[in-house]
Amino acid sequence: MDKGLLAYLLIPLFTAVLIPFIARNRPRLADIFANVTLLAGLVNLLWLALRPSVIAGGFADIPGDALSLLLVAAVYLVGLCVTFFSAYFMEEGLPNRQAYYSLILTSIAAMTGVVTTGDFFTLYVFIEVLAVTSFALITTDDSAGGIEGAIKYFFLTFPASALIMVGIAIFMISLGSLSFDSLRVYMSSDMPDGPVVFASALIMLGFLIKSGVVPFHAWTPDAYQGSYAPVSAHLAGIVTKISGVYAVVKLATLLRFFDGRAQALSELVMFLGLLSIAVGAIAALRQTSFKRMLAFSSISQVGYIVLAAGLGTPLAIMGAVFHLINHATFKTTLFLNSASLEKAAGTTDMDKLGGMEHAMPWTSWTSVIALLSTAGVPPLSGFWSKLLIILALWESGLKTYAVLALLFSIVTLAYFMIMQRKVFFGRKSPAAERSSEVSAPLLAPAVLMCGVIVALGLLFPYFYQYVKVVAERIIL
Amino acid sequence: MNVFALDWYLIALIMFIGFYCMLASRSIVRQLVGLEIVSKAAMLALISAGALTNNLVYAQAILITMIVIEVVVVATGLALLVKNFRLHGAADIWNLDSLKG
Repeated sequence: MDKGLLAYLLIPLFTAVLIPFIARNRPRLADIFANVTLLAGLVNLLWLALRPSVIAGGFADIPGDALSLLLVAAVYLVGLCVTFFSAYFMEEGLPNRQAYYSLILTSIAAMTGVVTTGDFFTLYVFIEVLAVTSFALITTDDSAGGIEGAIKYFFLTFPASALIMVGIAIFMISLGSLSFDSLRVYMSSDMPDGPVVFASALIMLGFLIKSGVVPFHAWTPDAYQGSYAPVSAHLAGIVTKISGVYAVVKLATLLRFFDGRAQALSELVMFLGLLSIAVGAIAALRQTSFKRMLAFSSISQVGYIVLAAGLGTPLAIMGAVFHLINHATFKTTLFLNSASLEKAAGTTDMDKLGGMEHAMPWTSWTSVIALLSTAGVPPLSGFWSKLLIILALWESGLKTYAVLALLFSIVTLAYFMIMQRKVFFGRKSPAAERSSEVSAPLLAPAVLMCGVIVALGLLFPYFYQYVKVVAERIIL
Repeated sequence: MNVFALDWYLIALIMFIGFYCMLASRSIVRQLVGLEIVSKAAMLALISAGALTNNLVYAQAILITMIVIEVVVVATGLALLVKNFRLHGAADIWNLDSLKG
């Protein structure tokens, strides 16, 4: 456990316990508590990472492996956007605000635990906590869709946990300890023997199921589509990325995929990554529900991260980490915009919407920025991460993978253009006549995230320096 | 025959039974039972690993934590089941088809 970051785990957890008591008769107090906790944490983290002296020193002063700090900041950023949005999105009385904010803060504490932990068992414990809070959050409102998504998620994620547990048991026999370092040392000494490869494969399989990579993607669209609107932004933006994809990236660096000792596993992970890029993008083309299309797009973007993690060279890991952050920013924006649409127009069915840009210009333009970043249009941040991933693939001689990844990036642009034309551009539909722009507080998180997207894109040299420190520390 | 080989044979068997139970049944209750069987196999694997490496204390600590998590997971699963039953009036997994596309 990275002790320097322990406070970022404990304070949200403490607030989560406090909220039901303090805000018992005053639900508005729960809003304030949750937002203030996350804002304070985020400001603190930014001070830790972006002090002028730290930037001037090339980020060498960052404590621990710099990856935890970066991901904790991403967790807090998305968490703050979601809580701020929910404070103004929720109807009076429904749902139970105290329980809702307690759950969100608990899930943020659990995610902080996942990214700061140093051994497999703690990772498992926090991932289970995260999963349990996710089910409660998905079923926040009593719609039938939420319960259905939650049940599908439940019956795929817990068998995956059992597989991870068996893998951990085999690690206990062959490594004698469960810390990440013991696996790293073992992998760098000699060729791994059978049991270690088997255990790694089991754990990798479990995390691939949890991250919703293609043969195991059955739960992802249902859970995102069915859940309560701000919760789907929380889930798609950060929860499944931390509980599945982060662990895949971490395991890829621990197994040292770049030096070819776990060749077969690395190739398999890369193949699944490419498969989910392809299947996610093609399935997104023919969706009619806005949220479901975003969910398939999420599968496709996760494919890029998994592809880069499977390659495992320092450049690829840099691309994977950067894409993880970018995914958090643009997918949160898009899902929050879908929630705004749901509030203003009452539906997210793309066939019933149209010409919404006349009614909701801000929502329309933040969507445009987010989708251009997803598709990888320069100078937005998504361009740089995809560039890093494709360069890493080309450099390792995997030219077919590089070209296919590039081609499906164009398909990404295609389905987002279809979405934008159907929902925001074109003639005014009856839904657009009726609806008007949502209030400023509901727009603020999306505008903030767009600011982050543009800033990361324009200040890429500084961010590249940071990610380089990350790659140096976690790989070597 | 080594006693641990027998352990792991049984663990694989129990896990297979659990997965078969999840695959073959339509009722959510039975699926939950299958899930429980699968995670019991995972727990047995941990105990066996602890005994094999003479590290039972560590295995015990992990196992107790895991049992606590297990209880929470079962409670969540049953809550989902009850809520689903209230909404649909059935616990059939094939009724869950309102989300698709």
